[in-house]
Amino acid sequence: MHELSVCQALLTQVAEIAADRGAIAVERIIIEVGPLSGVEAHSLLQAFAVARRGSCAADAVLSIEETPVVVLCLGCGVQTKTSPNRLVCAECGGYRTRIMAGDELRLRRVELRVAAAQSAGLALTVDED
Amino acid sequence: MCTTCGCSITPGNSQIAADQGGSRAVVDVVQDLLAANDRVAAHNREHLDAHGVLAINLMSSPGAGKTTLLEATIIALRDRYRIAVIEGDLETDNDAARIRAHGVPAVQITTGTACHLDAHLVHRALHELPLAKLDLLFIENVGNLVCPASFDLGQHRNVTLLSVTEGDDKPAKYPVIFRATDLVVLSKTDLLDVLDDFDPMRAAAALRALGRNTAMIRTAARRRPALRSWFDWLERELAVPRPVSRRPLPLNLSLAT
Repeated sequence: MHELSVCQALLTQVAEIAADRGAIAVERIIIEVGPLSGVEAHSLLQAFAVARRGSCAADAVLSIEETPVVVLCLGCGVQTKTSPNRLVCAECGGYRTRIMAGDELRLRRVELRVAAAQSAGLALTVDED
Repeated sequence: MCTTCGCSITPGNSQIAADQGGSRAVVDVVQDLLAANDRVAAHNREHLDAHGVLAINLMSSPGAGKTTLLEATIIALRDRYRIAVIEGDLETDNDAARIRAHGVPAVQITTGTACHLDAHLVHRALHELPLAKLDLLFIENVGNLVCPASFDLGQHRNVTLLSVTEGDDKPAKYPVIFRATDLVVLSKTDLLDVLDDFDPMRAAAALRALGRNTAMIRTAARRRPALRSWFDWLERELAVPRPVSRRPLPLNLSLAT
């Protein structure tokens, strides 16, 4: 159910980016979601269909890149791909592990349509820190 | 497919749907979706640290005994520590009323349909509490093992209750919340004699598989001797020196939301 809150936060960030670039529409939003983020990709897509109404992204497509869970063992240094409920080291069984991937809940890319006059001076890809 | 909600728009035809002239611009970013929540959570932590208040986010399924544990804790510790509670529920202020009956301040947050507390809701509640007169703040989250795990509230410690009337494989089923927790409190352990399908060792093994050496203690809130290890943990946490940060500046909520 919290997927709707996540969508609202997402749309706030997208609206800021779209306003910054003077976009007339948002075409596509790409986000990264890991199984350890606590957010379900399927539920997020359903929530997005509701949340986008009336927003600058009303016609946008949400693309979700699902990341695998990867842990690094702080004992033996081996990095393994694993499942969300098996986060110990598959090699030595140690529990001191660090999540290297799988807990992402991040906005990665926004594809905008900008008016012809504004697009003339705009680089195709803009890096943002 | 209907034409009103946008469900008929697919990656294949979105171009036609959105085409209003102009050209395309691609913006690459790396931005946490919950950044606004996390910013307010950090602000909440500053508020708490400025007043030397230890905040504990208490999470569990509905009915695991969060409020009962809090009542027993208040009765046992209220003469030594100044305690307050923020109660999160979908509806009613029944739980806040239970807490207030023990003479400590309680703020009820009713979330309506929202299944979790977030940092903004807690921020508002903090302003209703006399922080300068508190040592210990419990934030009783909405009963739910899924959603609360994703939202930092500004707490110092996460505590998750697992009652023995649930399955002992809960840590394996809900890895996100159990990995985020600093302490697991097995509750209602006085029922273990009659609930022989719950094996605390199996629960501990599922918890260890999450790659953290999280402590698990056994309690029974209706039997005070069975709460000793919980009180010991709380007192150790209260004794940890925490940074007393500068007084937080007022939060610009229009920026944070």
